[in-house]
Amino acid sequence: MKTIVIDGKKFDVEEIPEDTPLLWAMRDYLNLTGTKFGCGVSMCGACSVLLDGKTVRSCQTQLSDAIGKSVTTIENTEDNEINTLRKFWKKEDVAQCGYCQPGQIINAAGFLKSNKNPTKEEIVEAMNGNICRCGTYNKILKAISQTAKEI
Amino acid sequence: MQQSRRDFLKTTSIATSAVLIGFYAPVKGMAKQLETSKISEPNAFIKIESDNTITFIMGQAEMGQGVYSTMAMCIAEELDASWENIIFEPAPVKPVYARPGAGIMMTGGSGSITNHQEQVRKVGAAVKEMIKKAAAKKWGVRVFDVTTENSYVINKRTSEKLPYGDFVETIKKQKVPTDVKLKKPSEYKLIGKPMKRHPKEVEEKITGKATFGIDLRLPNMKYAALIHPKVFGAKIESFDDTKAKEVSGVLKIKQLPNQKIAVIADYWWQAKKAADLVEVNWDEGDFAKVNTETLKEEYQKRLDTDENPVMRKDGDIDKAFKEAYKTVEAQYDFPFLAHAMMEPLNCTVHHKKDSAYISLGSQFQTSVRNLCAEILGIDNEKVEYHNTYLGSSFGRRAPGNLDYIKDAIYTSKDESYPVMTLWSREDDIKQGNYRPMTKSSAKLSIDKEGNITGFKAKLINQSLGRGTMFEPFLLKNGIDGTQREGLENHPYKIENNDLQAYCPESPISVLWLRSVGHTVSAPIVDCIIDQGASAANMDPIDFRIKNLKDERFVNLLKNVAKQSDWYNRKKGTGYGVGIAESFGSIVAYVVKVKVENNDYKVEKVWGAVDCGYAFNPYNVENQIMSAVNFAIGYTKYSELTIENGSTVQNNFYDYEVNRLKDIPDINVEIINSGAKLGGIGEPGVPPMFPAIANALYDATNKRYTAYPIKLG
Repeated sequence: MKTIVIDGKKFDVEEIPEDTPLLWAMRDYLNLTGTKFGCGVSMCGACSVLLDGKTVRSCQTQLSDAIGKSVTTIENTEDNEINTLRKFWKKEDVAQCGYCQPGQIINAAGFLKSNKNPTKEEIVEAMNGNICRCGTYNKILKAISQTAKEI
Repeated sequence: MQQSRRDFLKTTSIATSAVLIGFYAPVKGMAKQLETSKISEPNAFIKIESDNTITFIMGQAEMGQGVYSTMAMCIAEELDASWENIIFEPAPVKPVYARPGAGIMMTGGSGSITNHQEQVRKVGAAVKEMIKKAAAKKWGVRVFDVTTENSYVINKRTSEKLPYGDFVETIKKQKVPTDVKLKKPSEYKLIGKPMKRHPKEVEEKITGKATFGIDLRLPNMKYAALIHPKVFGAKIESFDDTKAKEVSGVLKIKQLPNQKIAVIADYWWQAKKAADLVEVNWDEGDFAKVNTETLKEEYQKRLDTDENPVMRKDGDIDKAFKEAYKTVEAQYDFPFLAHAMMEPLNCTVHHKKDSAYISLGSQFQTSVRNLCAEILGIDNEKVEYHNTYLGSSFGRRAPGNLDYIKDAIYTSKDESYPVMTLWSREDDIKQGNYRPMTKSSAKLSIDKEGNITGFKAKLINQSLGRGTMFEPFLLKNGIDGTQREGLENHPYKIENNDLQAYCPESPISVLWLRSVGHTVSAPIVDCIIDQGASAANMDPIDFRIKNLKDERFVNLLKNVAKQSDWYNRKKGTGYGVGIAESFGSIVAYVVKVKVENNDYKVEKVWGAVDCGYAFNPYNVENQIMSAVNFAIGYTKYSELTIENGSTVQNNFYDYEVNRLKDIPDINVEIINSGAKLGGIGEPGVPPMFPAIANALYDATNKRYTAYPIKLG
């Protein structure tokens, strides 16, 4: 049986064509809609998920590349980085329309897992691929900086 | 199991008893009609349940502007309800939720608070009075002896405390008071205080639980992808779907009445793959010969003539120019812009036998519902409408031509299952409803004392109203109402004005983009003013202050001058000023740009806002931050061009927007002037355009007049 683990839960993906992007496998086949479609070409970051702890754009990741692996999404309730980011997301009142925020938080979580003590410039670099059309960037930067300090 | 919103409400009505209070308040907010209805017809603003849950039924769309939070502050303030515990529910389409004066439910023009605050506050105040009356009766005391706090009613004599929910049944029998008094500002506990976004909304948005239109999932739901005309205005001659049909999951491929083809499949990815395989023969028409340059040539002819419709003409402009001490002039070019809102356009429709269900995140609930009824040939009341969160919009989810909504209704028509029709990002970038491309000219004359004596401007861009439901309201005497914004009513004391506009036609659909006409009028007016200051050899802020009519503008300029230490700045280091009024609010900025390696960055922004009175100062600051970044992207990057009748750009790789690396430090001060209430979602955008251009002039000694502004 072909399975993937998403946020700790095992999913049978036998029926899903393997060339389906992970994004669409999650959103449409498995009804996990927390991860968002933004551009379909890896240019906006809205679909970011962690694949075995590393950030990928799920719109450009084939399901076949995720089989047997562990996927972490915004719907995760256990992950330390994600939860700490959420805490500072609230403190800084980051979200406006909220659509890009799952991708922002996941991308930041993946980054903070790989860089425990980032400089401001490193955060900017790491987050520059995530578009927020509401322009909440100033607060995203503040929230991530504080999360990094706490973790 | 499908659970519609209505079923959900029915379920909750079994669990708890509830009361619904609503008013028709079409004119001046005075309560005219009481509706205490059954729970299945939630024709009202608030629902109080016996477990003290208070639900606020929102007629306005939340697209990031913070309307849920601030409107909830309004109702909680007067109701003395616990703001944090209020639950939101999007309203169905009912006249009670219409914008006063507009007759339809809509969210736009930065007008939610200005249009609805009094109405919902009166609802809150009335319900509070009813609960107090019921409690007084229960306790056998006078209403005077009863007070309220945090969704509880308190007996002042005994300190006994009961939840509002206890009075759900008793207040159903009461008449709704029509003469309620609203709190004075000195009594506010919530309004005017800096409040973060409502915790329930925030929680949903940081856990992936928030439902945007694209997240809707219904039993047996299918998905559709579209094939749009490649060339604007092209017509389908024939198409071959042989290969497309072979894609697994494809259920149906059909031509829609609006020259599009829909591919319905079990899943959107299958539909999209199949859509790319459909081979279409297009009758491209004459527009296939058009490109940006030919459009510019056409527009330029209109700039070169004085035979344009007159927007405003007073005084004697020729005399003013002839007698001027100095004149300055410039031409300003603005490109077509896509909104590129984060959530791609989508709409879900289920055409049932004699009824329908439609769901999306829209700024135009009533129009969407009515269109659905019209196309499906059923009564308006037979359409169940469900609004969701909007993954930003900036006007795109309020299209005058209802384009993507039509697509979805046509696609779902006569199908047995619900279908979500979803545009790709490429569809979004390439398929019109753009901020119109604009060519414009401006000329200013000044006298020896630095007074502006004459202003002539021409504005050439497509009408937003033409061909849409708004044409009768917007397009008058050859001029579109949105062309007048910020230009006809510019804030300067000028005796001689000659303002003209012309609306060329093309098959490219155009639409309001956040701040609408002000996205071009603010840079035109405030950049030529800046040029005038240079010609007068005056400080840019002093020159504006000397020529402005209204003290509110002057106060804001003094404020940003102080914040930025303007008068001690080192000249030539990239400081610029911008000011504009839009949607009832005035915003001024001083910006500091850094120019380096033929590129620039906005480093610092000092802003001052006068929206009359800030209901939620924290949200005002958030909206200014949003506006500043939005405008930086549209100043530096975004541009759509036309080649062979189609849009060249495709996606975020060739239609660039602002990103994290572009952010400046932003400081905002709010002036509560007490003037008439203005909006806040849009007014922060317009003055950023001239502020950046004027700062670039300071840094480079060059006037940049073509957007996006690229150095070198």
